[in-house]
Amino acid sequence: MQASGGFSNSHFRMPDFWTLMIWLTLLILFVLLILPIFGVLSVSFIDPKTGNFSLGNYIQIFTRPYYLTALSNTLLIATLGTLGACLLGVPLAYCTARFVIRGRTIITTLAILVLVAPPFIGAYAWIMMFGSNGFITNALAMIGINAPTIYGLPGIVFVFSLKFFPYIYLMTETALNAVNKSFEDAAENMGCTAMQRFWKVTLPLVFPAVSTGAIIAFVLSIADFGTPALLGRGVRTLSTIAYTAYTSELGGQPSMAVTISLVMVMISMVVLLAQRFFISKRRYASALTNRPVKARLIGWRNILAHTYCYAVVAIAMLPALVVFYTSLLKTRGPVFIGGFGLESYRRVLYDAPEAIFNSFSYALVAVAFIAIFSGLIAYIIVRKEARISGAIDLLLMVPYLIPGVVIAIGYVVTFRNDWFDITGTATIIMLIFFIRRLPYGVRSTTTNLRQIKPSMEEAAVNLGASPQKTFLTITLPLVMPGLIIGSLMSFITAINELSSTLILYTARTITMPVKIYVSVIDGEFGTAAALSSILLFSTGLCVYLVFRISGDKETSFV
Amino acid sequence: MSGVRIENIRKTYGDFVALSDISLDIPSGAFFTLLGPSGCGKTTLLRTLAGFHKEDAGKIFVGGAAIENVPAHKRDMGMVFQDYAVFPHLSVADNVAFGLKQRKLSKSDFLERVEEALTTTQLNALASRMPHELSGGQQQRVGIARALAIRPKVLLMDEPLSNLDAKLRLELRQELRAIQQKMGITTVYVTHDQEEALSMSDIICVMYGGIIQQASTPFELYNEPTNKFVATFVGENNFLSPHALASAASSKSVEQFQLLGRVPNAMKAVLAIRPEDMTLELGTDKAVAKTSKNSTIRLSAKIENLSFLGRDLRVSAVLPNGEGIFAIAHPTPDRVKLRKGDSVIFSFMPEAAKVFEDSVTGRRL
Repeated sequence: MQASGGFSNSHFRMPDFWTLMIWLTLLILFVLLILPIFGVLSVSFIDPKTGNFSLGNYIQIFTRPYYLTALSNTLLIATLGTLGACLLGVPLAYCTARFVIRGRTIITTLAILVLVAPPFIGAYAWIMMFGSNGFITNALAMIGINAPTIYGLPGIVFVFSLKFFPYIYLMTETALNAVNKSFEDAAENMGCTAMQRFWKVTLPLVFPAVSTGAIIAFVLSIADFGTPALLGRGVRTLSTIAYTAYTSELGGQPSMAVTISLVMVMISMVVLLAQRFFISKRRYASALTNRPVKARLIGWRNILAHTYCYAVVAIAMLPALVVFYTSLLKTRGPVFIGGFGLESYRRVLYDAPEAIFNSFSYALVAVAFIAIFSGLIAYIIVRKEARISGAIDLLLMVPYLIPGVVIAIGYVVTFRNDWFDITGTATIIMLIFFIRRLPYGVRSTTTNLRQIKPSMEEAAVNLGASPQKTFLTITLPLVMPGLIIGSLMSFITAINELSSTLILYTARTITMPVKIYVSVIDGEFGTAAALSSILLFSTGLCVYLVFRISGDKETSFV
Repeated sequence: MSGVRIENIRKTYGDFVALSDISLDIPSGAFFTLLGPSGCGKTTLLRTLAGFHKEDAGKIFVGGAAIENVPAHKRDMGMVFQDYAVFPHLSVADNVAFGLKQRKLSKSDFLERVEEALTTTQLNALASRMPHELSGGQQQRVGIARALAIRPKVLLMDEPLSNLDAKLRLELRQELRAIQQKMGITTVYVTHDQEEALSMSDIICVMYGGIIQQASTPFELYNEPTNKFVATFVGENNFLSPHALASAASSKSVEQFQLLGRVPNAMKAVLAIRPEDMTLELGTDKAVAKTSKNSTIRLSAKIENLSFLGRDLRVSAVLPNGEGIFAIAHPTPDRVKLRKGDSVIFSFMPEAAKVFEDSVTGRRL
């Protein structure tokens, strides 16, 4: 660096602040992301018996009926679940975007709550309603009706549809609001009926958004572990057999578990790339010169539209309500003994305080680091136009695609070796939270930063502020809203994380979602309900904060 | 105050040469304008001076000291941005103070300088406002005040007025020039607006394709362009081929042959005549010839289009060989009555014609 003030002409220069930060970021991503993934990859090519290189694991998956069934189940469930989510989400988006619906904000808020609620709560709440001993099943049985069972493939598809439709709804609604009204007017002018207009003009225009929402739903359906684990009852999916394989391979090399997980990743990648390729030719940019107007429906159409909108979100919210309601019932083990009480809460505070404490402290520590690095990485991605920033941007897509199981196994493979072993510590869980949720923080901050003109920072540098000082005094205050929203999103998703923690937890490092999962498996519905309610309320509070800060931008959530 | 010397600055982006061995001398205290179409390299050169990107080769001296290796934040050059770049989270006074906070100043010096910058730009009354409460013009005043407050060695301005509306632009133009002259600060100003350049600058440097085309006083630039690009870009010009001149001139005068004699290879050159140097005469050549002076060159043409601009009348016509020609004339009633296809005579003095090689940047012959 130069001596202060005067002009000197030295050829030696320390690498500047941002060069150091780029290397630090690459180092972190390499150690915490690339290394574990390569660890997982290499394990999948090792024959568990001989320890030699082999394609045997993959051959098994694509030949043995046990795996093939799981593969086809997974594809079937993900496809049907995504389709169901589209069937719920697209009409809902059309109603709220094109018609005057009273309480639209309520619908959006509920949809977002569904989105952020812990994924497995749905499954287990539906069990409490429609399971073998569910209260609706029992009630219907009393009047002699055989309720449809929630278990098995149809049940999983049903839960996935209700769980993932908000992605499609939110993305489609945003897109519908950005379609120039003139296109629809032109279609009408040329003699299209309302139906024809929707199928031939509106839907193709918003198709990129619908398909992006559908891809998110598809990828999450494949990776979801809790729902098929709780509702499966003999229906094997890749995520459940991966977990089973992992637990039975404990001690040895988790080759099979890893191979299965990687097949899941490959499916997600193929689908994602196919969608990218498909919509790359279908980008319709147009200035929003003529905003769409919402029509005021009358008569039965109006009632129908309102009923539909409220029914969808109400049914989707039902699990959360059931869980909260259950948490207030008196229980003894799996049995509800009648009457209301706070025993369940008292019990979790006595029996599982460490789960609550762990969940909050791990998530908070992880989010603190996420906040710091989101600011730095967003700056590198947006402002440093170089190949390295592109690479970082691309690398940060990876955690979206890789199921928690894969990362968790990768961490076990990488961070348990002859020199050190951090498996079983709180650190490993916080590291996983950090790397898995970092993209949320970076993405939100990046979006914010892109709206800030680079001349702001140039002006600061020009006026004599060093690059570090410019970042702290100009960039950071300006991206603060994005940074806070991103951190809240990271927090919400970190506190609800199940699939990776289930592999890594010990008695000391158990978290709320793991405790809930274990309690459900053990039939401790009261405990599960109380913990779930705590989780739901924390999540709801964060959603409220995001709403307040972002000024009602539901797009922050997808 | 310091003069700036630029020696063989080169900057490329892949195959694209943004700056091709630029050398310039900017005298201390001069208002120096970089003028050119977008993509000509003028902004790249300004940003290189500011240190926002590193040149591939070459040297930059400010007040005699080389600054290529001085990082941007230590260059002591105040910059004014096209999009104002006023910090939205800081008040007007805090924006102006920002640069001073990076320098170790005594409290009284600090306050005095903020006050001085606010006064110079007439912002005192707005000192505690936030930027979103200001108009575009006021925001740019903050941008200027902020750059002046640090008492920079050189003031850099990147199209500072182009985002403002026409009337305000005119007003601020005069004000900026007045401030610059009063402070005697070396200023490098980037614009694509030739009128702005002509009215404000001591020296204008016209750039095209990463190359300096001409650097001279506004008067010289307009009246003695050294190549065809400058003649095209600064002001308006008729470009006529020698062929058009030969075919359209109704009477082959001595002057005409002398003029064509200045063209070495007749068909590879063009003649440039400013529209205000063209005289428009009505009627056919025979009628006109009797009244006009002998030394003028007369071209017969047919009216194509008239546009009445209030003070002026712009008359476009077509020569017999199809080339276009136009003149800026005084809008007299009989001229305004002209219709498409009417015969007219365009005449000019041979000295008004400048001869250029016929290529985009063809040199003056």
